[in-house]
Amino acid sequence: MKRFLKKYHLEILLILPLALYIFYFTLIPILQTIKMGFTNPITGSLSLDNYRYLLEREDFRKAFVNTFIISILGLIMQLTAGLILALMLKKEFKTKGIFRAIILTPMGVPTLVSGVALLYIFDTQGYFNELLYRITEGLKYIGLIASTYRFVPIDWASGGIRTILMIAFGDMWKVTPIVTLLLLAGLESIPLDVYEAAQIDGASKWQTFKNITLPLLKPSITMAVILRSVDLFRIFELPMILAGKTVPVLATYAFEEYRVYNNPNISGAVSTILLVIIMIFVLLYLKYVDKGEGLA
Amino acid sequence: MMSSVKKDRLGKIIDVSFFPLLIFFSLIMLIPVYILVKVSISQPVDVLTQHPTFLIRNFTWDHWIKVLTSGKLWPAFRKSFTVATLTAIFAIIIATPASYVISRLPKKVKYIVILGLFFTRMFPNVGIALPIAVKFLKWNLMDTYIGLVLAHLIEQLPFITWILVGTFEVIPVDLEKSAMIDGASRLRALMSIVIPNAAPGIAVATLFVWLNSWNEFTYALYLSLSDNTLPLQVYYYVNRGGFFQTATYATILTIPVAVVTYALQRYLKSDYLGGAIK
Repeated sequence: MKRFLKKYHLEILLILPLALYIFYFTLIPILQTIKMGFTNPITGSLSLDNYRYLLEREDFRKAFVNTFIISILGLIMQLTAGLILALMLKKEFKTKGIFRAIILTPMGVPTLVSGVALLYIFDTQGYFNELLYRITEGLKYIGLIASTYRFVPIDWASGGIRTILMIAFGDMWKVTPIVTLLLLAGLESIPLDVYEAAQIDGASKWQTFKNITLPLLKPSITMAVILRSVDLFRIFELPMILAGKTVPVLATYAFEEYRVYNNPNISGAVSTILLVIIMIFVLLYLKYVDKGEGLA
Repeated sequence: MMSSVKKDRLGKIIDVSFFPLLIFFSLIMLIPVYILVKVSISQPVDVLTQHPTFLIRNFTWDHWIKVLTSGKLWPAFRKSFTVATLTAIFAIIIATPASYVISRLPKKVKYIVILGLFFTRMFPNVGIALPIAVKFLKWNLMDTYIGLVLAHLIEQLPFITWILVGTFEVIPVDLEKSAMIDGASRLRALMSIVIPNAAPGIAVATLFVWLNSWNEFTYALYLSLSDNTLPLQVYYYVNRGGFFQTATYATILTIPVAVVTYALQRYLKSDYLGGAIK
């Protein structure tokens, strides 16, 4: 032990501030939150009361379901858009630099601000409804829709699946560039001669994509799925801005329980549930979908 | 062999739809930003109506002038700016030496350490912010700069460590070794050989940390009672329904982020993304 300390004293000294900080300001708070979740606020004893309370709450069940739908939907949308854009940006064409810069635009916009922008777009009197209105007017003019039809503006923030779609779209807008860059890095690491060989063998685009690109891209896809699902389950700012109280997700529900109803113990229980969900999801993905290949 | 016509149908579709699709995606990426700026420089007639206009019809600086002279912008601006700067400085001081050590660990140990850092990011922010808020309430750190800096470091330290480990990894160990053969102490070799070589990476990482802290919302929400940061100021106007103030504040919040992100575009690698850019 002494020899170890002597040999590595510099290393230990250099890493100590970070280790202590993470221990004191991250690890201990995490344990405190978990403990809070298992503590009855009145008696102060360890119990499952908070979880029992949550199971009976309609709001909580809704938040639970909403979080799942947003995560799965968001993941599918982001990966699809990211993959299409990455494949496009891998091609060589003249104006590539400009398009690359445009597609990365959302990275220069804070999440909160993207929420604000979408607020204007998806307002009842917003720009998306106006676009839909103009399209219906146009279709009426051509005669594809009966001229008696009146477009009723859609209230996107009224809750339900519409609002979920709006939030999922908002998150997709914000993170698609990140997913694109992640997948693009993966695409660029695939050696070109594999494609040349496929071309010589007369493989079609689809065959090349399915049999070469997708399998070789798997590590990048795994990385993207894990990073994005962790963030999607914890989604907070966008639902907070876009939906207020109509579509709670687990993170905003935890905040409300603490700030509005002053129930830190309930809030701790929700956070713990959220952590468990995230861990289960990541482990299941690694075990059954990726089989550990992606992180190896 | 199958007929090549049938085989390349997908290829043809891709060729034809390539540019239209690219332009479609580009528009989707640009329109929200355009709308945001547009609202901040439009007169109410063009926005608060059943049929808002897509183009800027009645241009006005009114909302900007109002926000800039209201006296509510600068305190929030100052708080966000100071906190972001302090967070970036502390993050660099704490994380640089530690990342160097981690980068020189045996591969297996390094992997475990990095996975550990990732694990801290798996816990929801609302969960960590909760006991921190309780603690800071006791310590009288609510609404203070130092409280926010301490809280922002929670998220930024794992992030910057992650990036810097990647930066140090690519600096060859032989460089230090040869310096040490020439008689330099280990600390000396680190300071005069390794750190200067890593300087560009460290600078980029610092800027990203600054941006993340400038944008930070969750901890600020938990740890502020009356003094808002700039993101909280945006949120405040969203709740109050101040359409034009929201747009103006949001645009002000975005400007530094857009400038830095654009300038650093070529450094945006998956290393950085793996960390925490949100």
